[in-house]
Amino acid sequence: MSPAEEPHILLSPLGRIDEHILPSLRSAISQVYGLPTQIASLLQGVDFAYSPERRQYHSTSILKELAATLTPAQIKVLGICSVDLFIPILTHVFGEAELNGRASLISTYRLNEDLPAQSWHTVYLDRVVKEGLHELGHTFNLKHCPDPRCIMHYCRHIADVDHKERSLCRYCRIFVADALQELGLAERLGPAARPNHTDMLHRDHGVPDKGSGESA
Amino acid sequence: MDPATILIVDDEFILRESLKGWLERDGYKVEAVASGEEALECVKQSRYDILFLDIKLEGMSGMDVLSEIREIDPDVAVIMITAYGSISTAVEAMKQGAYDYLLKPFEPEHLTVLIEKIMQNKAQARENLYLKQQQKDRTRFESLIGQSEAMQQVFDFIQDVAPTESIVLISGETGTGKELAAKAIHTHSRRSGGPFVAVNCGSLPEHLMESELFGHQKGAFTDAKNTKRGRFELAKGGTLFLDEVGEISQRMQIDLLRVLEERRFYRVGGTQPIELDSRIIAATNANLEEAVRRKSFREDLYYRLNVISLSLPPLRKRKDDIPLLAQHFLERFAQETNKQIDRISRQALDELMLYEWPGNVRELENAIERAVVVGKQRSIEPEDLPITSPQTAEPAGTSLQEVERAHIARVLSENSWNIQRSAKILGIDRSTLYSKIKRYNLRRDQ
Repeated sequence: MSPAEEPHILLSPLGRIDEHILPSLRSAISQVYGLPTQIASLLQGVDFAYSPERRQYHSTSILKELAATLTPAQIKVLGICSVDLFIPILTHVFGEAELNGRASLISTYRLNEDLPAQSWHTVYLDRVVKEGLHELGHTFNLKHCPDPRCIMHYCRHIADVDHKERSLCRYCRIFVADALQELGLAERLGPAARPNHTDMLHRDHGVPDKGSGESA
Repeated sequence: MDPATILIVDDEFILRESLKGWLERDGYKVEAVASGEEALECVKQSRYDILFLDIKLEGMSGMDVLSEIREIDPDVAVIMITAYGSISTAVEAMKQGAYDYLLKPFEPEHLTVLIEKIMQNKAQARENLYLKQQQKDRTRFESLIGQSEAMQQVFDFIQDVAPTESIVLISGETGTGKELAAKAIHTHSRRSGGPFVAVNCGSLPEHLMESELFGHQKGAFTDAKNTKRGRFELAKGGTLFLDEVGEISQRMQIDLLRVLEERRFYRVGGTQPIELDSRIIAATNANLEEAVRRKSFREDLYYRLNVISLSLPPLRKRKDDIPLLAQHFLERFAQETNKQIDRISRQALDELMLYEWPGNVRELENAIERAVVVGKQRSIEPEDLPITSPQTAEPAGTSLQEVERAHIARVLSENSWNIQRSAKILGIDRSTLYSKIKRYNLRRDQ
């Protein structure tokens, strides 16, 4: 099997982005989801998604275009752009993803708000990586997680993202394992994604569905 | 907690789908429909926590949908979705019962906060309802037992006064549970971590009372071989319960008044003042107002003690509590004596209900204890009870007229010959009572 045919997560830059972003994302995604990554630019730009009324880019339209271009080996795609994204009902979004689907998207546009004066670039890169891991998580059918340290926790303010860890909580790890099993990729779980014995014990004893009871 | 169930009503496909998708990522159960008519069908069929309702809909307007939904399910929180041009309608909708409105497009943070707030309010409302129900169903409050309206009022009162520091004067006949009420107040007070110290003022001779309450220094008097801390000191940080406070001597009344006024006291023979750091609860079975009138109780002390007063009802005024209390005591004594008695026969319960219980709950407790001890069957029978109810008081050969005469005489006597009150108790009018008094030749001095 050639590398292109091997199941992988595709990182697709959409326009100009910081050169450090892709290497950081590749490493973090492999660590958390245990799958290899590849880089390819799937779209020639995102102008088609521009809304003159909103002066923003409609993220759902971009997602659809990304999803439409995927090959079977590209099991998930994470698009990375630097424009201001929106969905019609909300003023803006940092990213969007198809829940239990294949396409996800993040924008770096608003991730530079409230950056600290020192080490701002490190913090900025960290936010991009965490947002990428978060949106990709939705494609593995992960919903928002109540654990504030989990990468799937929904942060009301961008600065709160800095307090999250670059990892999944033990419940979300199990849900990712389930999703990979459904894809026939269970054996590919990376160390960070692999549920440990304790996780499974909890699962056997009926841990409630992670989606239940949580707030946004 | 189950995830919130949400219904979105918007005729613009792209808006309702984008909101649906966004909310689903939060784990909510979301449905979306395009018209008011469909929304009403959904609300009739299922329960929703939150409904996002666009004001401008084709067909039925958002306002009409709102008003019908309020009829079908007033608990659903309706959030109106509006554009800039129709804010006034949204405000009107809030007057009509909508929970809030959101201006399109909304801030993601605002949406999240609003849903969280609604769900928290709903959880709070459910908890309040549960507590209210629990309150309604309660038959116990600490060690006090009762489901009667009178006791429910007592429980409410205790809950209200417990957190204050005020002196409480509990009145009630002997055996009504004054000390239990005082303990319940203490348990629910800020001083519950401190001790509950009780003194029966009626049981101590006057010459011991002072030392008992205030303590004494070594050598203060002949027998004071060691320094002793009094009850006021022992109750530091907690509650001092002065039972039968109407029984204390005139001298002690003065001492007690001074402590309450100055909030400090001295050990007998001591020169160092000690700060009073305890809540005072006093109790009496005497009529203190009457005692004040008779000058046997100091008026100034009475008012100092009677800041908050709690009157415990006699058992005969809350007879609906008798089965509950009797069963409680039965279970307790059966366990203590290891006897297989687990119920009270219908006839025995009738006897308990007919008896007037002058000794109140304590007498009932003693009666059940005796019945359990002497009982030979699985149930308590009338012959096990050491009481004689009014119905069995008269010998079998007594005529009806004799029974009536005796009963009227007793009611009159118990009510100090107050004709109006006695007639009311007997269930006859005053003129009938007068004629019966005359016919039976009843006199006040009998």
